[in-house]
Amino acid sequence: MSEDVLSVANSLGVWLTAAPVAILTVIQAYLYYKQIYKTADIVDLTHDQLKRAFRAGAITAIGPSIAIFIIMVGLMSVIGAPMAWMRLAVIGAAPTELTAATVGADAVGVTFGGEGYDLYAMSVSWWTMAINGCGWLLFVGLFAHKLEAFREKMGAGDPAWLAILTSAAMIGVFGYLNGRNIIAFNGPLTAAIVGGVSMVILLKVAKKASWLKEYTLGIAMLIGMTVAAILF
Amino acid sequence: MSEKKIDDAFLHEHWTRPVVRIGMITMLSACILSFLPLVYLYIVYGVYPKLSTAITAWGLIAAVFGAMYFVEPISYYPILGLAGTYMSILSGNVSNLRLPCSAMAQEVLGVKEGTRQAELIGTMGIIGSIIVNFVAVTLAAFVGYSLIKLFPPAVADAFRSYTAPAIFGAVFGQFSLRQPELAPFALAIPIALLIFKVPVWIIILASVFGTIGIARIFYKKGVIK
Repeated sequence: MSEDVLSVANSLGVWLTAAPVAILTVIQAYLYYKQIYKTADIVDLTHDQLKRAFRAGAITAIGPSIAIFIIMVGLMSVIGAPMAWMRLAVIGAAPTELTAATVGADAVGVTFGGEGYDLYAMSVSWWTMAINGCGWLLFVGLFAHKLEAFREKMGAGDPAWLAILTSAAMIGVFGYLNGRNIIAFNGPLTAAIVGGVSMVILLKVAKKASWLKEYTLGIAMLIGMTVAAILF
Repeated sequence: MSEKKIDDAFLHEHWTRPVVRIGMITMLSACILSFLPLVYLYIVYGVYPKLSTAITAWGLIAAVFGAMYFVEPISYYPILGLAGTYMSILSGNVSNLRLPCSAMAQEVLGVKEGTRQAELIGTMGIIGSIIVNFVAVTLAAFVGYSLIKLFPPAVADAFRSYTAPAIFGAVFGQFSLRQPELAPFALAIPIALLIFKVPVWIIILASVFGTIGIARIFYKKGVIK
């Protein structure tokens, strides 16, 4: 990508126009945070329990967030810092955004980031990232509350079954996510198996040492990652 | 029984309704605001996508991700609940951050899956993850180029390549402890479909709802409870 295009992509105006969406994620989280505190009494949760839940989520997020940090610095060199910031604070994972930016360049008939990738092509890349994100935003914004009825129907008013259904959905999602890594063999397969075995052992240990519990997933991830990196 | 009914209506008024209102407003705002940088490009540089190019690009990207707009929220909904779905889809990184963080909060607090308590606790875990994630991307945006030098290349590579597989394996291990009978099916379904190169959106639906279907059979037969 030419220096000119990248300097526009990093200009103050783009920072200012990218900021509202990035900040909106925090505003939304804050609004739900307040709503949970208001509702906690109704379902018999103490404020202390809410704090512990927040901590557990925050601690578990540290490892993956370091990975996102590293991937994002790479993304910044191709789409500029403010757009990378906005796109990774919302919906996007880096591969999705890179695909959208590339498809935008394809539609213009130039190579993403290559010769001929001018301001016009960049505007189409930005358009494609935005319109793609809106697919998820619109569907969830308009129809998420209808999904609650769908869940209730599946749950069939049976709390024991609803608990199993929730676990089954989780195992199904992560079965799929692991399936991709299993057939990739080597590094990803090793990371997945070592991560999985570590987690099972850590959770058994945490039954006796409950302080360990909130760190288990973070530690299991580090062990899986380290072993895979050393072996491959 | 009647007590529970009153409770539900009360909860609907004081939880579900505000959650939907906040969700709708923020999601639709994000949708509109995400075009702001394009408005800036147009006003300052006079550059904007031609209608025909814009539509072509839209068609091309929808062909890649269009099914995911529906498949992901539907598949994740039973796990995340309402507020969790709004936040997870707005903030993204569902599989590597939101789902694990929600599950971890529930694990630490020991709440029963599928209950209202679990929903609130999981949602709180997601909020914790959003704050940490926001700090990380904001640091990356403003001081990323200088901070990245703190990571030796081998360490940066390890994080880039292996955090996702390791966390996926760990979460799978965590939930296989609860329902070990389902684990082999949850792996066999996607692997078989991946080998036959079935489109990804079908594989996600088949993995989630296939596993739920098998759980239903086992539950009815009393194999799991």
